[in-house]
Amino acid sequence: MRASVRYVLAFAALCGLSSAAAQVGPDRIINAAREPQNWLTYGGGYDSKRYSTLNQITPANVATLEQKWVVQDQVFGAWESNPLVVNGIMYLTERPNDVMAIDAKTGKLFWLYRYNNSPDARVCCGANNRGLAIHGDTLYMGTLDAHLIAVDAKSGRPLWNIAVGDPKLGYSITMAPLVMKDKVMVGVGGGEFGIRGFIAAYDVKTGKEAWRFNTIPGPGEPGHESWNGDDWKNGGASVWVTGSYDPDLNLVYWGIGNPGPDWNPDQRPGDNLYADSVVALDPDSGKLKWHFQFTPNDGYDYDSTQVPVLADMQWQGRPAKVMMWANRNGYFYVLDRVTGKFLLGQPFVKVNWASGLDSNGRPIQTPQPPGMPTWPGNQGGTNWYPPSYSPRTGLFYFSVWENYATVYRKEEQEYQPGRNYLAGGYTVVAPAPGAPTIGIGRRGPINNWTSEVGSGATVAMDPHTGKRVWTFPQYDVTDAGMLTTASDLLFTGGREGYFYALDAKTGKELWKTNLGGSIVMAPITFQVDGKQYVSVISGHTLVTFALRN
Amino acid sequence: MGKFGQASAFIGVAALACFILSMSASAQGQGRQYNAADIQAGDRLYGLQCAICHGQNGDGINGVNLPRNQFRRASSDDDIRNTITNGVAAAGMPPFRFQPAELNGLVAFIRSGFDRTGAPFKVGDASHGLAVYNANGCATCHRVNGNGARTAPDLSDIGSVRQPAAIQRSLVDPNAAILPINRTVCILTSDGRTIRGRRINEDTYTVQLIDQQERLVSLEKSAIREYEIVKTSAMPSFAGKLTDTDIADLVAYLMSLKG
Repeated sequence: MRASVRYVLAFAALCGLSSAAAQVGPDRIINAAREPQNWLTYGGGYDSKRYSTLNQITPANVATLEQKWVVQDQVFGAWESNPLVVNGIMYLTERPNDVMAIDAKTGKLFWLYRYNNSPDARVCCGANNRGLAIHGDTLYMGTLDAHLIAVDAKSGRPLWNIAVGDPKLGYSITMAPLVMKDKVMVGVGGGEFGIRGFIAAYDVKTGKEAWRFNTIPGPGEPGHESWNGDDWKNGGASVWVTGSYDPDLNLVYWGIGNPGPDWNPDQRPGDNLYADSVVALDPDSGKLKWHFQFTPNDGYDYDSTQVPVLADMQWQGRPAKVMMWANRNGYFYVLDRVTGKFLLGQPFVKVNWASGLDSNGRPIQTPQPPGMPTWPGNQGGTNWYPPSYSPRTGLFYFSVWENYATVYRKEEQEYQPGRNYLAGGYTVVAPAPGAPTIGIGRRGPINNWTSEVGSGATVAMDPHTGKRVWTFPQYDVTDAGMLTTASDLLFTGGREGYFYALDAKTGKELWKTNLGGSIVMAPITFQVDGKQYVSVISGHTLVTFALRN
Repeated sequence: MGKFGQASAFIGVAALACFILSMSASAQGQGRQYNAADIQAGDRLYGLQCAICHGQNGDGINGVNLPRNQFRRASSDDDIRNTITNGVAAAGMPPFRFQPAELNGLVAFIRSGFDRTGAPFKVGDASHGLAVYNANGCATCHRVNGNGARTAPDLSDIGSVRQPAAIQRSLVDPNAAILPINRTVCILTSDGRTIRGRRINEDTYTVQLIDQQERLVSLEKSAIREYEIVKTSAMPSFAGKLTDTDIADLVAYLMSLKG
C-alpha cells in the first residue's frame, strides 16, 4: 500500500514537471545547428544550408532505410510543403492552407486546422503552400488570399489573422514566413497579376505591422529611375520564397521575382529594380542595405526567388562571408553578403539570353530574334527548389533543367486590376509542333514529352570555380530540393517519384526507392528518442524513413 | 500545236480540274481550308476579346472547350460565327460586332485547336475520310474503337488530343510530326534478347514499350546493353500517294474521333 502511494506521488511530481519544455525563440534558431534533432525553419536554420549534423544514417547503412510511417494528403495537387519538427512534433501544411501537428515518431495527428480562403484568392501557378514559421508556441502561415495567420501550436486554434495584401488584385502568399527577433516576415506573390511586390514584418504577438519594404521603389526613392512613367505601379517583383538571415550582420536576404508584365520587357524600359534581385534589409527597420540584380529588364520570367544560401569560407585566401545563388537565369553566383559585391558568376546550363557577365556581374544581354529559342526556358535552369550547401564537402547542391528552351512572344497589354498581366506568351521548344512539353508540375504518370524537351539533374557545384564537380542525371526534369548530412549523404528526389540517397562527395547513388509521386519539396531530417528520421513528400504522401530496428 | 502547246493545255486542264474539285468541295461545305494569316489573326483577337471569359486555353467556361471544339450550341463554322455575333444572353456572353475577316480568324483559330504556330490545314469530308482510311491499310498498324493493330498509337480519341494541322502533318511528313514518346525503340538486353517496339513510357531507370507482337514490356535500364531510339517514323508518308482532297477527308475523319 505504501509503495502504491509513493508511486502515485512520484507520478504526480513527474506530471507537474513535464510541461516545461523550452520554447522556440530566435536564439534557438540562430543556434539551430546545436539541436539537429529539430528542423526549426523552412531552410533548417537562418543560413538555409539544409545541412544537418545528424550522422546516424551513413553511406554504409543507408540501404537499410525503411518506411516508418506515412501521412496521406487530403487534397490533390503538388505538395510543396516543408515540414518543421520541434521536440518530436512535426508541423506541416497541405494545400491550400491546412496545418497539421503530427507525432514525428508515429505519424499520428494531434490536430488539423483548416483555413477557408476567400473566393477572391487567385494564384498563377497552383494553390501551393510551402510551410510554416514557429516562435514560442505559435506557428505562422501565409494564405492564398494573402493573409498572415498565427496558430497556437498546441491546440491548432488561430490566434490572429491579418490581411497582408488584397487578393482581388492578385496578391497571395505561398512561402513559409520567417521569424526573427520579435517579428515575423513574409512576402507576397502575384507577379503575373500586375501587383507591386513587398516584404512586410509583423509583431509576433499581435500581428501589428512593423515595416514594409516595397520591392519596387516609389517616386523619390533610389532605384525608382529604373522604371518608366507609371510602369512601377504594376511592375510585379513578387516575393514567394523564404529568405535567409545573418544574425552577426543583422541582415535579412530575400530573393525577388520577375518584373511585370512578364513577356514584354519593351513595355517597361529600364532595369526594373528590384525585380530579379537579392535585397539585404535591416530586419529592425526594413531599410535596404544593398541589392544585387541578376537579370535587369527581364523578359524571360527569370524570378530570383531562390533561397539565399549563406556560408563562411576562405575566398581567394581570405575568410569571407558569402552567399551562394543558383539563379533561374542559368548562372551560378557567389556574392559577398556583407556588401553585395559580385565575386563569381558562371553559367551552369546552356545560356543564350546573355553572352556573359561583366566585372560587376551584370549580364551582357543577347535577346534572340523573334521565333528563335532562348536557353534556359522560362522555368529556368533551376527555380525555387531549395538547394543545400555542405560545409564538409564544400559543395553546393541543386536541381537543374538541362537542354530546355522556350520561344517567347511579346505583345502590348494594358493593366486591368486582378487580371493576368503577361503581355505575350511562350512556347516550349519541342521536336514536333504540338508535342507535349514541360512546365510547372508533371502532367501525369506517362512521360509522353520525353527528354527531348529537357531533362533534369542533381548537380554538385564548387562555389570557388562555378564548375560542376559531379552531375546525377534524371530522365524527367526535377523540382526537388536538397538535404545534406554530416555523414556526407545527399537526399533528393524528382518528378518521377524516386527518392535517392547519393554520396555527397561523388554523386554515386547509394540507395533509392520508388515512392510513385512527384517530389516537389526538399526532404528534412530530425531525431526523436535517439533515432534519426528522414521525411519526404511524394505525390500525396509524406513518408518518413529510419534505419531498420 | 507543238509539244509546248500541248503541255500548256494539259496544265490548263489540270488546273481547271483542281478548281472544279475545290469548287465542288466548297459547294458541299466540306473543303474548309484555314490559312496561317487567319489563324494568327484569330489568336490575337481571341487574346484581346475572348480570353477574359474563355481563358487563355479556351476551357474557362463550363461545358465549353474551344480548342477541342466542344461547344454547347455550335457545330458548323457558321454556327460559331453566329454565336459570336449574336452572343448568348442566357450565359452572359455579349454579342460581338466583328468584321467578316475577324470572324474568319476566330473560327480558324478555334478550328486549329488554338495552334499558335498558325500551321495551315484543310478539313474535308469525314465519311469519305473513313473510306480512305480503310482503303490505305491504316488499320494494319493503328487501332480505332477496338479494330486494328496496336503497333502504332490508338487513334480512337485522336481528334481530341491532336490539332488538325498536326494530323495533316502526320500524314504528309510523319518524321516531322511524330511525338517523341511514340518513337520506335530497338533494345538489346544484357541476356541477349532483341526487342523492337513502340515506346510508351520512360524514366531514369526503366522503359515501357509495346513490342511488335503487341506485348507490353517493361525493362530496367540496368539490364539493357544497347538502346536505340529510332528518329524516323515507322509510318509512311502519304504525300503524293493520296490527293489533297483525300488527305483533307482523312483529316476530317480523324478529327471526328473524339474517344
